Amino acid sequence: MKLHVGQEIPELIKDPTTRQLVQYAGAQGDFYEIHYDQEYAKSVGLPGVILHGLLKAAFLGQLVTDWLGDRGTLKAFEVSYRGIDVPGRPYRCHGKVTKIDGGDVELEVWGEDPAGKRTTVGVATVQVD
Amino acid sequence: MITTAEAIDRLKTRIGVDGPESTALVEAGHVRRFVEAIGDPNPRWTREAPPTFLVALAPVSLHLSDAEDFGKGWLNGGNRFEYLAPVLIGDEITAKGRVVDVYDKAGASGNMLFIIFETDYTNQRGERVARLRGTMIRR
Repeated sequence: MKLHVGQEIPELIKDPTTRQLVQYAGAQGDFYEIHYDQEYAKSVGLPGVILHGLLKAAFLGQLVTDWLGDRGTLKAFEVSYRGIDVPGRPYRCHGKVTKIDGGDVELEVWGEDPAGKRTTVGVATVQVD
Repeated sequence: MITTAEAIDRLKTRIGVDGPESTALVEAGHVRRFVEAIGDPNPRWTREAPPTFLVALAPVSLHLSDAEDFGKGWLNGGNRFEYLAPVLIGDEITAKGRVVDVYDKAGASGNMLFIIFETDYTNQRGERVARLRGTMIRR
């Protein structure tokens, strides 16, 4: 795989819906009400239901594994949640190669809301074959 | 309502102490529902679990109820996954978690309480497959 520092990997656009948040809550087993109960979410100062941080992490995981395919292995994956995201708006996932050391490759990954704010930022470390 | 200092005192006693182990089978149907929920149709996930699936196998954070007398809500601050071996469908994964740190920070809307925890995941052959580190914020 030909790689260079600064190289961007293909964008992944997700379109999360409230239905998806309910599906995710069930699949993960995270029933915190801020992800499906509008009244509850507002009562704790949120604009409404918000995406699970770990759902956004899953989106960024997909970004990396889609790009990597069977050409290597994901070794580490780190995400910080910097802002909230609400369903009904596209969530754009991006990544860029930041370091290459033999077969070890580091990527900066992030998810953007429609205003271009990076509400999730992270680092993925992969080992390419 | 307690202060962050009181919450920290409660949680400090838990630092480094392993919580109870939990063991779960990586079931094909559970993985399928998980990948449907995240919207990732990669056929690889019919054999293997996707990167964040581990969080669906066991509760990722412990003792959080000890902190719920402070603040009104939780935020997830971040997660770090370290992968040591693949997690395959049919594997039996044991998770063991612990609190590793607790501290407070002044935020725009008052004090916030940070709880750092980690979970180790081991398969049926005793091989460690992953470690998860997470930050939960109470505000």
